[in-house]
Amino acid sequence: MGKIELKGTVIIVGNYGSGKTETAVNLAFHMKAAGIDVRVADLDLVNPYFRTREARHILFEKGINVVLPEEKYMHADLPILAPQVAGLIRNPAELTILDAGGDDVGTTVLAALADSFVGREINLIQVVNPLRPFTETVEGCKRIQGEIEASSKLKITGLVSNANLIDETTPDIIYKGYELIQELSHQTGIRVEFITAHEKLLPELDLSRFDTPVLPILRQLVPPWKKPGL
Amino acid sequence: MAKVLMKGNEAIGEAAIRAGCKNYFAYPITPQSEVAEYLAKRMPEVDGVFVQGESEVAVGYMIFGAAGCGERVMTTSSSPGVSLMSEAISYIAGARCPAVFVNIMRGGPGLGGILPSQGDYFQATKGGGHGDYRLLVMAPEGVQEAVEMTMKAFDLAEKYRGPVMILGDGLIGQMMEPVEFPEDFDATPMNNDDWATSGMDTRKTDKRNLVKSLFLDPKALNDHNLLLKAGYDRMRQEEVRYEGYNTDSEYKILIVSYGTMSRVCKTAIDTMKEEGLEIGMVRPQTLFPFPEQAVHDAAAKESCSHVVSIELSMGQMVEDVDRCVKGQRPVTWYGECGGDIPTPEEIIDHIKSLLKN
Repeated sequence: MGKIELKGTVIIVGNYGSGKTETAVNLAFHMKAAGIDVRVADLDLVNPYFRTREARHILFEKGINVVLPEEKYMHADLPILAPQVAGLIRNPAELTILDAGGDDVGTTVLAALADSFVGREINLIQVVNPLRPFTETVEGCKRIQGEIEASSKLKITGLVSNANLIDETTPDIIYKGYELIQELSHQTGIRVEFITAHEKLLPELDLSRFDTPVLPILRQLVPPWKKPGL
Repeated sequence: MAKVLMKGNEAIGEAAIRAGCKNYFAYPITPQSEVAEYLAKRMPEVDGVFVQGESEVAVGYMIFGAAGCGERVMTTSSSPGVSLMSEAISYIAGARCPAVFVNIMRGGPGLGGILPSQGDYFQATKGGGHGDYRLLVMAPEGVQEAVEMTMKAFDLAEKYRGPVMILGDGLIGQMMEPVEFPEDFDATPMNNDDWATSGMDTRKTDKRNLVKSLFLDPKALNDHNLLLKAGYDRMRQEEVRYEGYNTDSEYKILIVSYGTMSRVCKTAIDTMKEEGLEIGMVRPQTLFPFPEQAVHDAAAKESCSHVVSIELSMGQMVEDVDRCVKGQRPVTWYGECGGDIPTPEEIIDHIKSLLKN
């Protein structure tokens, strides 16, 4: 189990509801705490609720710059892409995290930004939660991979297992997620960047089972009856 | 089956499939579009049909057509879309066809907003469409309950031969929770030989069936409406569902709240209990039939000095609550109607301010 080494522009993609935003936000916190300059942009044009913008205040509090649509369009269900995003891609921070929307539909926006990506090293990270419909198997993950690559006109460069059942996650779920992502990596030749596990679950995990870094998660996107950051 | 993590909208779609629904017609609208997205992928896997109508008006009549054939059928929409379907809902009720409607409510009136709302309480429970009809309305508080209610809705629609509605606020559709699907659900439609226009070769008798809502003879229409009424009276006897929360305690105030709003209330009630302040809640799971007796009796408890209806509307259910409390206690409204959801802290502050006064 090593350190997360991601640098430059990181785009988080994956099937719908795989936990991209929770991964993006927690990755931003984690890297910022390690002393890295982090910026985040919300590219989710397809999801109406539970987007990065919902966590903007805590991101700002931690000194992480967030690029969002204008305040007045914040709750619109229109595909609004903040114009600053292209600038952010051209002049990336030490680590720039772009949180895309789900499925191939959510990554269509990346094709629109294709000009900004030219000649740049882009990390396109696929997040997988095998407890979500359509990605229970390696085949399912590969299908989504193909669809995302076709719509974004980019190649997936890294994998993340975000196996969880929210509050009902067990170590076994994390282990199975790890096995699936390893198999996916084995079959596709794409490296595993890290896996995630809720901070509270870490003491119960046998970390020696993992060859990959583990990103500790504190849930930030919660329904209003729960407290974020727990 | 082991638990999976699903968005409410996806879970509602999967629940319909598990309940034997092979006919799904819809038109996209935030915040329920994921049902269609999910079923567009899933329906072909079970030899089912998803057709996207050119509008919700068209969808409403697609539902009528399939329901008239005795098929299990569902649509999902959100507030403005349900307004457009309301004419068809009235026809379906009039023609006594079983069908399941899901409304994942957003803000209104008009285009309103896309955030969660419970502003269609009146529309769902008091009419929406024209004429003397009622909808059996169930309101889930989370994804698991949305699954159970959606599956049950198909049975209830057939039991009463009429439209049944699942009324969820936007959060029900959008949030993700672990969910399990019941394994032992009987997905066979009840015998519809008596009435459905399913084709003569599918039926055991040679009786000709006619599906219609037109009764020009006043006595026939009167009898027909009384038949509908008998069904609604039976719902009041047999289908009332609610949950009491902390109602065994000597609560000072009674909250009545439903859907995700009640989840926030539960957190508030738990927090106040830790502080030594007892607050009770009745959570209607059916909005029609409304848990009239339960609300009445809970309000009458000696320790209870006040009843507050907490809703994501400017005060709709509060009228039913007031009707049931029958003046025994003051009844007031608290809530939000723009898309924000009151926090547990805001509810606690409000409850404490009620106690001060």
